[in-house]
Amino acid sequence: MAVTGPAWGGARRIDAHFHVHDADPAAGFSRSTGKLDRRRAEQSLQHAEKLGIGFLCTSFPLTSESPTPEEVRSANDLIFEAMKLSERYLGFCFLNPGYACESLEEIKRCIVDGGMVGIKLYHQYRICDPALTPVMGRAADLQVPVLMHAGRGMDTETRTQQPRLSDSAHMVRAAAMFPDTILIQAHIGGGGDWEWCLRHLESRPPNLYIDSSGSVVDSGIVDKTVAAVGLDHVLFATDMSMEEGVGKVLDADLTDEQRDRIFAGNLKDILARRRT
Amino acid sequence: MLFDINTAIGHWPFRQVPCESPSQLRALLTAKGIAGAAVAHTHGLFYLNCHDANLELAEAISGHADYFVGVATLNPRYAAWERDLPACREKLGLRALRLAPQYHGYRLGCPESVAIAKAAAESGLPVLLPHRVIDVRGKHWLDTEQTISFEDIAAFCEAAPETKVVVTEGAFGSDDLVGKEGGPLRCPNLYLELSRAHNGLCGLPAEIAVECMVFGSGAPLKCITPALLKLELAEVDEAGRQRIGWENGRKLLGLS
Repeated sequence: MAVTGPAWGGARRIDAHFHVHDADPAAGFSRSTGKLDRRRAEQSLQHAEKLGIGFLCTSFPLTSESPTPEEVRSANDLIFEAMKLSERYLGFCFLNPGYACESLEEIKRCIVDGGMVGIKLYHQYRICDPALTPVMGRAADLQVPVLMHAGRGMDTETRTQQPRLSDSAHMVRAAAMFPDTILIQAHIGGGGDWEWCLRHLESRPPNLYIDSSGSVVDSGIVDKTVAAVGLDHVLFATDMSMEEGVGKVLDADLTDEQRDRIFAGNLKDILARRRT
Repeated sequence: MLFDINTAIGHWPFRQVPCESPSQLRALLTAKGIAGAAVAHTHGLFYLNCHDANLELAEAISGHADYFVGVATLNPRYAAWERDLPACREKLGLRALRLAPQYHGYRLGCPESVAIAKAAAESGLPVLLPHRVIDVRGKHWLDTEQTISFEDIAAFCEAAPETKVVVTEGAFGSDDLVGKEGGPLRCPNLYLELSRAHNGLCGLPAEIAVECMVFGSGAPLKCITPALLKLELAEVDEAGRQRIGWENGRKLLGLS
């Protein structure tokens, strides 16, 4: 059964990719105490408000090599706290798909029972790894999107530190492997050869979307993304780079109606597909 | 009124970039409400004898003296910079000096870089220092992946205290830019172009931000509106916004 999504009100902009922080600043994203940095979360809401961002799809991905189920639950507890702080925070449930059974339990806890609206995966596994099959199947059942950290790093640091980073080729392969799952490739502007990514995405299956987030605001990045994947498959997002996220969409050569699709319309359509 | 301290003309070899000519760049900036700009020549990063790019720049912007101010690019480890620097100022009318150690094969802080910085100050030229030119994560195979550390920048500023140093494309935090317990700017001759500033101008206290931040966009390599939004949302009063957006850059270049 399809359920009604969040009460959007007049929200003009919905951020498809955002993060909040742990109360312990030393934790970074490598671990979680399960406690939200409420001050920063409130500041983010205020900043988003100034930029016309009504809702933020928010997760707390752990960057360590293989977070345990307990660590994953702690990360998601932090998101529950953000959701309690404000209904403008829409939860995305972080998973380590290497723990298949525990991941399915966490999907039940966070999405079926807890009201989160999507799944967030990081670089523990590539998106097309068969280990993801149970998670992808359950996401397809529920028709919730899977947001995958991705990019094509050209520098030594990225390649060294993220050896299992998914790129567009992996995303296209995964979209064919899991045709009923809604996949979102994260941050075309997240740092890396975004043109290489777009050339692969030109041949994307219809269940693969791209988010516009990241601090990279190279001229033409959104125009070329729209040209490569189609207007209805581009989702506005910031990944915490808010002015960059809004500004590069505003700078694209689009009509107001086209911009509205990217800023909110496309994501609303995706989230309206959620089933319980 | 807005003045952009971080723009460029010329061909960027690693990606298709729009508006690389002065006329195109001027139209792009004007459409965003920017009333004047400092402009460097991208070729200066790549020529061995980068002074040729200064000659190209001066000729290219000669019809836009009411809008563009030229920024020289020199390599202090290359021959004849001692002659080229005054020529840039006096013959070509350029108003700032850009150093690009990542592209020219030296380390910031080497004796030659300090010497050219001191010479620039004696000529009344600020030094523009790109922390990076593009995001190195997306670099071409032939491009550099070096950035300049804040420690090197701070040491450079201290070694040439009379030189006004403007870091462009820098994403530093307040911990870097102010002393402990919110004290004064660690380097009083250091300025920061805002296009990569996070958290309301790097989380700097408003009175410090107004002193040291300078509006710049990175056009045409980068979109302009993100920088406009950063200025618009900066937690400073209108007078402060005017200083960051217009006065600070022009004052550094000796235009007001």
